Amino acid sequence: MSWLQRLFARRHMESDLEKELQFHFESQVADKMRSGISEVEARRLTRLEFGGIEQIKEDCRESRGTMWLESLVQDVRYGLRQLRKSPDFTFIAILSLALGIGANTAIFTLLNAILLRPLPVQMPSELLLFGNGQAQGSTSSIPDGNTKLFSYSFFHDFRQKDTSFSGIAAVDSSQFATKAAIGGAAYQTTHVDLVSGSYFSVLGVPAFLGRTISESDDGADGAGPVAVASYSWFQRQFNGDPSAVGKTIRIQSHDYTLVGVARPGFYGYTVGQSTDLWIPLSMGKAFSRPGWNGLGDKFFQSLYLFGRLKPGVTATQASTETNLLFKQILRSYLGPQPSQKHLDELAHASVQLNPGGRGVSYLRYAFSVPLEILMAIVALVLLIACANIANMLLARGVARTREVAMRMALGASRRRIVLQLLTESALLAFLGAAAGIALSWKASVVLLRMAAPGPDPVPLNLTPDMAVLGFTLGVAVVTALLFGMLPAFRATALEFTPALKDGRGSSSSTTRGALARSLMVGQVALSVVLLVVAGLFVRSLINLSAVETGFDKRNVLIFSLDSSTANLPHGTPEEIRSVQVQEQIEDRVQNIPGVRADGFAFFTFNEGGWTDEALFQGIPRTQANGGEVFFNITGKGYFSTMGIQLVEGRLFNAQDTQMSNKVAVINESMARHFFPNGSAIGHRFGIGETPDHPGEKEVIGVVKDAKYTSLAEEQVDGSIATQSLIARLSSFFGIIAVFLGCIGIYGLLSYSVARRTNEFGVRLALGARSHMLLWMILRECILLLVIGLALGVPVALSSTRIFKSLLYELSPLDPTAIFIAIAAVSIMTIAAAWLPARRATKIDPMQALRTE
Amino acid sequence: MKTEDRFDLPQGTLDLLIMRVVALGPIHGYALAQRIQQMSREALQVQQGSLYPALHRLEYKKLLASNWQPSETGREAKFYELTAKGRAHLKAETKNWKRLTDVVGLILQGTMEGIS
Repeated sequence: MSWLQRLFARRHMESDLEKELQFHFESQVADKMRSGISEVEARRLTRLEFGGIEQIKEDCRESRGTMWLESLVQDVRYGLRQLRKSPDFTFIAILSLALGIGANTAIFTLLNAILLRPLPVQMPSELLLFGNGQAQGSTSSIPDGNTKLFSYSFFHDFRQKDTSFSGIAAVDSSQFATKAAIGGAAYQTTHVDLVSGSYFSVLGVPAFLGRTISESDDGADGAGPVAVASYSWFQRQFNGDPSAVGKTIRIQSHDYTLVGVARPGFYGYTVGQSTDLWIPLSMGKAFSRPGWNGLGDKFFQSLYLFGRLKPGVTATQASTETNLLFKQILRSYLGPQPSQKHLDELAHASVQLNPGGRGVSYLRYAFSVPLEILMAIVALVLLIACANIANMLLARGVARTREVAMRMALGASRRRIVLQLLTESALLAFLGAAAGIALSWKASVVLLRMAAPGPDPVPLNLTPDMAVLGFTLGVAVVTALLFGMLPAFRATALEFTPALKDGRGSSSSTTRGALARSLMVGQVALSVVLLVVAGLFVRSLINLSAVETGFDKRNVLIFSLDSSTANLPHGTPEEIRSVQVQEQIEDRVQNIPGVRADGFAFFTFNEGGWTDEALFQGIPRTQANGGEVFFNITGKGYFSTMGIQLVEGRLFNAQDTQMSNKVAVINESMARHFFPNGSAIGHRFGIGETPDHPGEKEVIGVVKDAKYTSLAEEQVDGSIATQSLIARLSSFFGIIAVFLGCIGIYGLLSYSVARRTNEFGVRLALGARSHMLLWMILRECILLLVIGLALGVPVALSSTRIFKSLLYELSPLDPTAIFIAIAAVSIMTIAAAWLPARRATKIDPMQALRTE
Repeated sequence: MKTEDRFDLPQGTLDLLIMRVVALGPIHGYALAQRIQQMSREALQVQQGSLYPALHRLEYKKLLASNWQPSETGREAKFYELTAKGRAHLKAETKNWKRLTDVVGLILQGTMEGIS
């Protein structure tokens, strides 16, 4: 019989066991009677010799080896019965666990999808990313630090010389939507990635249909007008029709042949940005993007590089070789007589090799710190929930003293009862976890939308995978142990006789009280920490949204124009036609009734920027004064549209054309920087480190400063979205924490008032005033509150320092936030204590004295 | 109760004794206890509390097999017998036991000579 069969044959085996022992008993009685003892006496003696028959049975069951499973099934059944018997307790416990575990699962789902999960590629652990992937776009400056983007020339030269990698691939880092049309149909928004010929083979992603991009596509300029589609785009556009392969797709103004479809589930090397089409880098010229300079330029660095390590080569070896080659190759790009400045910069340049199996992601860049903070916050919330349930279990444990004592007297071992009580806790935890997973499924999608607001949802797979389920299971087990262990051991550590006689467990009530009180102190401390953190982020968010942006955000609409699909010339001397079209649009829009002003601009608010050096005539460049400034190219209506005020000089007008003088408007900061003692108007400057056209641009106006590229330049990586995400979620969880804490305090005091009904009755009968009773009960609670605050506030003060970089113009020791947190916790705690305390004063002395 | 003659059996010895008695032929629990008592000349009295858990353990390990048969009184009783595995196990364990007692005896004797 297998153990499984044994389990099902349980009833049969139980009756066999009973029969077998009964036979032994009867035989013994019969033997004794044969030696002349009366039947009554024989039975009595035999019973004495036998000892506890239930104990023998239990030992027999245990020696059968299926005991653990049998008792588990039994415990689960018993536990479910117990939980059903007290629905209020069960409901509150499961609700707090569902919130706690659900919040943890939701945040972990995001953390997993953004930070942890490897790409669906072959052996992701062998992939190494050059740099940390935390840059996008392009740069033309000589590398002088940790390099993140690389040029096409470097990619080719490096892969010819290196020996550490079995393959190296490149993908363009600029990610934005462009337009594509299938077979002459209308243009649609499409995400296109420019990749090297080695991209698919290095990743080990095969074609689902047709072929992927190969080396032969990535040869000479314009040699590979082919495209590979992602599986989901192929499904969307062609409904999975295999005849799609070979069709012509027009991307911007060039035709490409669709040669294949990549394997389902592969969305490209960037997480959180799904690629629709891949085209070879050889088509770089045909594919236009802002700031694009062509792949021929050795210092036009716009690519992410990643490589697959050869077997047996360590990451350290690869890193040494890579840095050596990196400097060699870049040195050769500088020409025979490089300037000392360039050589110095190059001396500081390096390439950091990072694990590349998880791809690159702007989400990771923006959200890793917020997600880690939120993970810590929800872990604290779960801890508070655990303390709550532990408290309720302790109270229940006292109520169940008689039951436990009875079972132990009947021969159950302490281990057995602890296991049974833990099974009950585990049941609660798993029910809570199941509800939590259901909750988090939807919640993580909502969280993602909050984190990255925009018209299109971020394509991120948030379906719970094995990692998420494993995490939740682990959390459930840990929570069950956390809140179940102490009450279970407490419940079984009792003295028999008084427990059986009394049932109220008076002997263990003081220690239980001490435990419950320390749990409460812990809850108060944790709540105040959470509220301080939440308060800081909310106040920081308020500062951030009240900041002087320098322009009027109200009533401004933005639209964008893709000149390539409008068949306007791009990258040719004819390009001025685009500008003329824009000017016409500007004038026409101006005439629409209700439009006050309109203007074109290369960049709009918070969209990024273009930096370069400005060299004014007559102002020598010094070491401290790099002259780096932000540039924008605008139409004449731009400043009035944005409400940016003119301080001096004039703005652009219709006389500023291609043929006229080159002019520029600068802001107050730039004017002050270069001309601290006089007016900037009329001065001339050139763009670039060594300008091709020195002194080409004349300053015609100075405007007020506007916060352009980012509202919080002093922040490391903040944006309004992440700020508001942390602020909203941390206050939400802070409120949940306080709420849970209050339930705990309310429950504890209600219970203690109920237990002391007798005592209060006597006190009242002896003439105690009700307000004295009220104060007596509240005093205890206030003492716990004060201890909790005394522990929590210092912890909060010392831990908020790590958020310093995330707070906008706010000290991590902001007194307002701390005061609000203390006040909120105090008021809520006293309110939670007030209700049961009031009840104590309403006790009728006569009735109280009669209860027991 | 004849407590003066009783002593604790070393760990695992009861299993060996049970198997030895069962090897003589199918037998139920009560008879087994009596048989051990007789064979040890009343020195060993096996308690029900150790006998039945041991029987169930041996059965679970497939060293013993059981079936229900009418006993000498006509009542149905659970009879145990050795399985092939049990027989081999008994043989090996008996040999081990003999070697152990020989070795222990040798050492204990040596010590006694040294003392006297």
